[in-house]
Amino acid sequence: MAEQVVVGMSGGVDSAVAAYLLKEQGYDVQCVFMKNWEDDDDEFYCSSEEDYNDALQVCDILNLPLHSVNFSKEYRENVFSYFLSEYKSGRTPNPDVLCNKEIKFKFFLDYAMKLGANQIATGHYARIEKHNGFYHLSKGFDNNKDQSYFLYLLGQKELSKSIFPIGNMDKDEVRKIAKEHKFSNHDKKDSTGICFIGERDFKSFLQQYLPAKPGDIVTSKGKLVGKHDGLMYYTLGQRKGIGVGGGHGTTEEPWYVLKKDLDNNQLVIGQGHDHPGLYSKNITAGQLHWITSAPSSPFDCTAKIRYRQKDQACIITTIKDGIATISFTENQFAPTPGQSVVFYDGEQCLGGGIVETV
Amino acid sequence: MLYFDHSATTPIDPKVSALMKEVADNHFGNPSSIHKYGQKARAIIEKSRRQIADALGVKSRNIIFTGGGSEANNMVLQNLLYSDKKHVITSAIEHPAVLKVLKHLKRFGVSFTTVPVNKFGMVDPANIESAIRDDTALISIMYANNEVGTIQPIAKIAKIVHKNNILFHTDAVQTPGKIPIIMNELNADLMSFSAHKFYGPKGVGFLYIRDGIKLFPMIIGGGQEKKLRAGTENTPGIAGLGLAMEIAVKNLSDSQNHLKTIENHFKKRLTEIYSTAIYNGHPEHHLPGLVSVTIPSITSDLMLVNLDIKGIAVSSGSACSSGTVKPSDVLSAMNVSNKHNISTLRISFGKSNTIEEVDKLIDAFDEILEKYNKKR
Repeated sequence: MAEQVVVGMSGGVDSAVAAYLLKEQGYDVQCVFMKNWEDDDDEFYCSSEEDYNDALQVCDILNLPLHSVNFSKEYRENVFSYFLSEYKSGRTPNPDVLCNKEIKFKFFLDYAMKLGANQIATGHYARIEKHNGFYHLSKGFDNNKDQSYFLYLLGQKELSKSIFPIGNMDKDEVRKIAKEHKFSNHDKKDSTGICFIGERDFKSFLQQYLPAKPGDIVTSKGKLVGKHDGLMYYTLGQRKGIGVGGGHGTTEEPWYVLKKDLDNNQLVIGQGHDHPGLYSKNITAGQLHWITSAPSSPFDCTAKIRYRQKDQACIITTIKDGIATISFTENQFAPTPGQSVVFYDGEQCLGGGIVETV
Repeated sequence: MLYFDHSATTPIDPKVSALMKEVADNHFGNPSSIHKYGQKARAIIEKSRRQIADALGVKSRNIIFTGGGSEANNMVLQNLLYSDKKHVITSAIEHPAVLKVLKHLKRFGVSFTTVPVNKFGMVDPANIESAIRDDTALISIMYANNEVGTIQPIAKIAKIVHKNNILFHTDAVQTPGKIPIIMNELNADLMSFSAHKFYGPKGVGFLYIRDGIKLFPMIIGGGQEKKLRAGTENTPGIAGLGLAMEIAVKNLSDSQNHLKTIENHFKKRLTEIYSTAIYNGHPEHHLPGLVSVTIPSITSDLMLVNLDIKGIAVSSGSACSSGTVKPSDVLSAMNVSNKHNISTLRISFGKSNTIEEVDKLIDAFDEILEKYNKKR
């Protein structure tokens, strides 16, 4: 009997092609559409409906069974609550990293096992390789689309049970296959932003959950230049939407967020992309996770402090009490507490952590 | 493939689809046109209206074709926008095509009172009586519930309503072919129906309007359906609806007996393999063939997906538009615990189901319960 695999179908082109490839390879494929977020009942438009319809049409073409599962309660408890508490403490979380760990490679994986499958598959651009008795996570072949950054929290168990069928393809190839098979989503836009917020206005979304505390905007020299609506709406290095124009400074250069001073509820800004307050070479990271095993410090590697950043040379100087101190060769623009720093050795993703101090 | 979800929709009766094809192929005229093509199409529509009127024992003029049951409900409720009195009494277990409409109308000045149901999903007419206010314009209580099958005391409610000079609407979508629809006993002023629930086509239904009741149209245009529902008529659909209604009423007692036999066999067999199943809905006053059953040891989503893998279609509480399972509001209103709520299946049998098919369903239950070690 063919090996059973459950594909997580998002309605996007990547998971659709993943399902197609597995079917071609002779797997017994079941598809599951996950609903991880529930909109208010009173809303007329259910945003996941279009995605579901796309998944349905793809499964219809491929003649694959499609099931739905609702993890919105699990998502709220394990991802969204963390997301809110991070914003509350002035940090900028990345819920998609946590969603992979807590939902897709936990509840969804369990669900697939329950259905009788041995493995799950998703449309991530990343690769899994086994050597020396360990499963390793590598960047996707399409380095431009590589999603290993979002997957660094996976461990041996998760990797041993996962397949990333499009990990060794580039996006153009994926879209070409989708088009050849007349998938309705073949030219669907790549999803951007945080999945549950979607195309909505971030500010008004957050407002529903967290009370905003307006306060002062000051320059790094302490000059009062405006009012902010609440520190949680800003992120370090942000330029657009601060609401402070030229005229306050010495030049016409744009203003950037340098710091969120929670104690005084002040947003500290500085002028110009080269402002020294925007850069740092040394950061610390906590909540460390290693895909195989922790390296011994000092350790030479590369790292990304945001998705799609080019690999940055760095040394993990110490790892003590679960906190890594990282020293970059070059200045880093706006490392941001709450975001993930992910470590690499060439193509291989080693693990990562959450930026604590910068 | 085994289909046990007839309360969601029914397969079309081959006689009905044959008629629809014949009409679609040969009688394409616009029923409003005065030439022969138009006349033929209009004759088909009027024949259907007569078939329905005869089946219900009312006049043709009381039947207004709509695009289905939801549209019929909406047409009734949206008339509150034009009424001086703007209060409605409804029940906690109505279809969203009633409850969501009322919620929507709240922002336009409509208010409503939701009367509770007892643990069998039954409305108490006394609660309706005490909810009546000076500004109550309408009472809308469904004839039979789509999730648990409980049949409401419509005739008793109608008496109370009419004593107070209020309009009475009932959503009767689930009933044709399953229970008698005796209009002068039920005594409702307005009733909604949908063809696809009784082996007719989708996208077509009708509203029964008692003589003397004046409604405003929701869709305005060419004045079709006595100016109550504009838009060129869906001639094949309407033809199919008429025939489906005629068949449903003509074969009522046979299909009732068949559905009861199937239902009893299912319950007997289920008890053999699972002794602690709980049946929801009124033990006596419920639609034949509609079984709402709680299997406490396994959640309905897991049961559904496993049945689906085996090619068996049943349903759970209320399905969201994107196909995921939520606790059912109807079961919550009946005071069913959350745990039981999400472990409840709705199995709705139809006229083509056989005893052998029920046995296959039981075998599938047995295998799934065994697989997850959930036999009790």
